[in-house]
Amino acid sequence: MFTHIGSIALRVYLYYALWSALYANNGPQQSFSFKDIITYSVLALLVGLIYNVDGPYVVREKIREGNIAIDLMRPISVPLYVFADTVGQAGFALVQIAVALPIAIGLLALTGTHISAPASPLIALAFLVSVALGFLVNFFLDLLMATITFWTMEIFGFQLMVQFITSLLAGAVVPLQFFPSPVTAIAQASPFAAIYNAPLSIYLGKYQGPELLSTLALQAVWVVVFAVGALALWRVGERRVVVQGG
Amino acid sequence: MASLAPYWRTYAEFWRLNFLTLAEYRANFFVWLVFTLVLHGSAIATIWLTMNRFPIMNGWTWQQVVFLYALYWLASSLNGTLFFTVGDVPWHIREGRFDRFMVRPLDPLFQIISQPGQIWPDELIVATIFFAIVQGLVHLQWTIGVAGLLLGAMVGGAFIDFAIQLAVATLAFWVVRLDTLRWVVMSLETDFTRYPLSIYNRVVRFTLSFIFPFAFINYFPASTLLHKTAQGDYAVNPLLGWLTPLIGALWFTAAYLFWRRGLDHHQSTGS
Repeated sequence: MFTHIGSIALRVYLYYALWSALYANNGPQQSFSFKDIITYSVLALLVGLIYNVDGPYVVREKIREGNIAIDLMRPISVPLYVFADTVGQAGFALVQIAVALPIAIGLLALTGTHISAPASPLIALAFLVSVALGFLVNFFLDLLMATITFWTMEIFGFQLMVQFITSLLAGAVVPLQFFPSPVTAIAQASPFAAIYNAPLSIYLGKYQGPELLSTLALQAVWVVVFAVGALALWRVGERRVVVQGG
Repeated sequence: MASLAPYWRTYAEFWRLNFLTLAEYRANFFVWLVFTLVLHGSAIATIWLTMNRFPIMNGWTWQQVVFLYALYWLASSLNGTLFFTVGDVPWHIREGRFDRFMVRPLDPLFQIISQPGQIWPDELIVATIFFAIVQGLVHLQWTIGVAGLLLGAMVGGAFIDFAIQLAVATLAFWVVRLDTLRWVVMSLETDFTRYPLSIYNRVVRFTLSFIFPFAFINYFPASTLLHKTAQGDYAVNPLLGWLTPLIGALWFTAAYLFWRRGLDHHQSTGS
């Protein structure tokens, strides 16, 4: 808990220092104000507390130790209870956010910087929906990774690699809007944008009207794709355990 | 001074065992190699993407900021290759397995850093290749002085890194859990050394220069090498870049003395 809050505080300062130097040296950006980037960075850190909850971690450990056989015998779907567990942990992340947000705001206020509030209640609502969709994409991605453990047993290094690439292409640190245009297009079309860049851009009011709706719809498509993929792979992997006898 | 022969023999044996594990865990070796490449690749890509729309950071181009990264990676991978296992000290203490290092006839710290494991110089090699590429990007002009300064930055920097990790590990003699402190120091080290020191406020600059002197690993040597010494607001005294070996020696001595006190403390609890 303290580690998380301390880590957020340090990073809020780091991003503030970084972006203020870059904006002071290179002048303003037409599509992204200094206030926008600070808001983006702080929100990315905070929603990161939710996304970093790795519920399917339990599955990975259980498959490795063989205990998964016992869970498979229980009369409840394993992916379902892992999901319930992840939602519970995300609830705890909300408590952390409630503590970290005032700290971040206070820290920034010391430097005379403020983060923006959502432009309207509708934007705020769309942001919350978008974070929820991002949470689902992220969850099914983690579940997919954990499911691969049925075949490989050891996946920790691979999963970390996927995490680095995800956070890069999701715009967790640098907004996709700052990438070179061709890369932006690729990254925005990738499922990873649904995790960070979509909700944060919605919050900042970068999408309006039909564009806002199509962004949410694309996120929903990715949720379905990853859910179907993860659950299908789960079925196959589960059968493998049954065949091997645990 | 007692004979050093047992030390050399043990150390040679340590590396022989490491290379034997390399032969045994070849697949694992490649997984970690790819992991290392992706980890550093994504960090470097982040620097490049950050500076895509913002070509200047307090007088530094993105190539020069990547040079900071390369210099830091060189020193930290040298530390990782030689002294990686010092991070295990808190774990040995917690598990009550530290006593065995106290009863054997060799120096305890030496025993810690010569615990065989899956320790291979792969990262050091990758970091060196990466540095060779990046020095071309920033058009480094090689002279004997430049080579000497680089060597000093690399070895001195590795000792700074080692000293801080040793000091933090030594705290485990008194405090059982220090995850938060370790995390803060690690963040200062890996996140804050990525950018020129001049972007931070006075407190952070002071901390990174004189408490956890990570700025001597890359920022000060790089400033000297890249002639960041006459840039008005961001001018850096070129002599500072030469001080890395001295800072490394001083901080290591202090950390070692602290470590000795930790050992005495451990004896007295007799756990």
